[in-house]
Amino acid sequence: MTAAVDLRATKVRVFANGWGSALSGAARIVGILVAILVVIQSLIVVEARPQDLITGVHGMADIIRRAMPPDFSKLRDALWPALETVDIAIFGTFSGVILAIPLAVLAAANVTPSRFMYYLARSIIVFTRAVPDLVWALFFVTAVGLGPFPGGLALAVHSVGMLGRLFAETIEHMDMAPIDALSLTGARRIQIFTHGIIPTVLTSLVGISLYRLDENIRSSLVLGFVGAGGIGFQLLSAMNLFQYREVSLLLIVIFVIVLTVERLSAFLRQRLA
Amino acid sequence: MLSVRHLTLRYPNGTCALADFSLQVKPGELVIVLGGNGSGKTTLLRCITRTLAPTAGEVWLNDTNLTPLTGDKLRRARLALAMISQHASLVRRSSVLANVATGALGRHFTPWTAIGGLPAAELSAAYGYLDEVGLTHLAQQRAGTLSGGQAQRVAIARALAQKPKALLADEPVASLDPEAAEDIMRLLRRLAVEENLAVLCVLHQVELAYAYAHRVVGIRDGRVEFDLPRADVSRDAVKRLYMSEAA
Repeated sequence: MTAAVDLRATKVRVFANGWGSALSGAARIVGILVAILVVIQSLIVVEARPQDLITGVHGMADIIRRAMPPDFSKLRDALWPALETVDIAIFGTFSGVILAIPLAVLAAANVTPSRFMYYLARSIIVFTRAVPDLVWALFFVTAVGLGPFPGGLALAVHSVGMLGRLFAETIEHMDMAPIDALSLTGARRIQIFTHGIIPTVLTSLVGISLYRLDENIRSSLVLGFVGAGGIGFQLLSAMNLFQYREVSLLLIVIFVIVLTVERLSAFLRQRLA
Repeated sequence: MLSVRHLTLRYPNGTCALADFSLQVKPGELVIVLGGNGSGKTTLLRCITRTLAPTAGEVWLNDTNLTPLTGDKLRRARLALAMISQHASLVRRSSVLANVATGALGRHFTPWTAIGGLPAAELSAAYGYLDEVGLTHLAQQRAGTLSGGQAQRVAIARALAQKPKALLADEPVASLDPEAAEDIMRLLRRLAVEENLAVLCVLHQVELAYAYAHRVVGIRDGRVEFDLPRADVSRDAVKRLYMSEAA
């Protein structure tokens, strides 16, 4: 009797699994079709013309020919803007971290002192992230003039948004037991923050900050295009003056900077893990 | 003396977690609370530390009624009430010594401690507390590298750094092997006697209660079933505590 019941149950399960499989198969086909449609509409919207790319090969080859060999006599002139680019990123990241940490604490649901502070901090984080760093750079160029300082400020404000969100998520996922234990010892809120929360999440925060530094190096190159200092400004000037051999030299310098910072950041993050 | 008087906790859905619960723990005494899952043991400790607000009743620590306290008054009252839990709850990346010294933070609010520093005097004292639990040699080691038993000893040293009048322990040996569990219970009993602490410990291990408690309190459905010196606690009385759970 039991065996018969089990057999019926098995049949029901098989039947149900069959329907489930058929449904998931149909869902998969629909998913693939939707993905194809999304890609096709993007090709239409961007007016993709692969034939133009093929006919334009000559133009590209001409620019590359004129950019060779790189003009190494300009290397000396490129060093200061290169340092400026790195320092814009360091300033932006450091300032962003300093501003993002308290915001992240307020924006982490498990440690925020009040719902009002939570929503206020979340709003600031979303706003600073939603406005692109290029727009922040234009804003600060208008405010403080041309040069590396507005670039650094733009990266700092934009980094607050990116870092604030990631820091808040790290705090929300941390082990709360040591924090609760500290709270029961009679420690004050600021002491719980500095002695409990910070040491618990420090490794993750440093890892995220290094990753952000890596991103900011690349962003600071583009910020130079709107007058916010660094090697990007020099690159734009060389391109406008059709100095392609200088452009190729600057691209080599940029490549070395990006690669060095990326490797250094990856190395440090690996050591911290 | 820690005194729980007619403590009742009723949740909004009507469930009564504690019902007219009373007990006293004198200085120098280790009282062990036994009871099945969901009997109200942990709720009792949470009401004593005021992480849960009781519906009725009072918790007194010497001359202070903890029940009506809130905010900074509650924080200051908690200085005299240390708590250790099933997991040691240490800051894993900090050293053992720093973890112990954080127990004293409540007594030292200075710009230095606010930015993450620890008072030099408390760091020296922390060696003494580590000596009490036999772990001086691990003072500079990261807390995350300790075994379960060692971590629990550090948690006890941190509790001592708080200089409490009463020590609460919520299943402190639940995740330890039998030998480490015996060590911790021996330590709790010694501290109760030598430091004149009122120690209230929630346990599942009946044999440990028989071996180390001065008094045993049985709890079932949030009520006191018995409150007796350990020699007077019968096996049948203990068995009855777990009967509803078995059924």
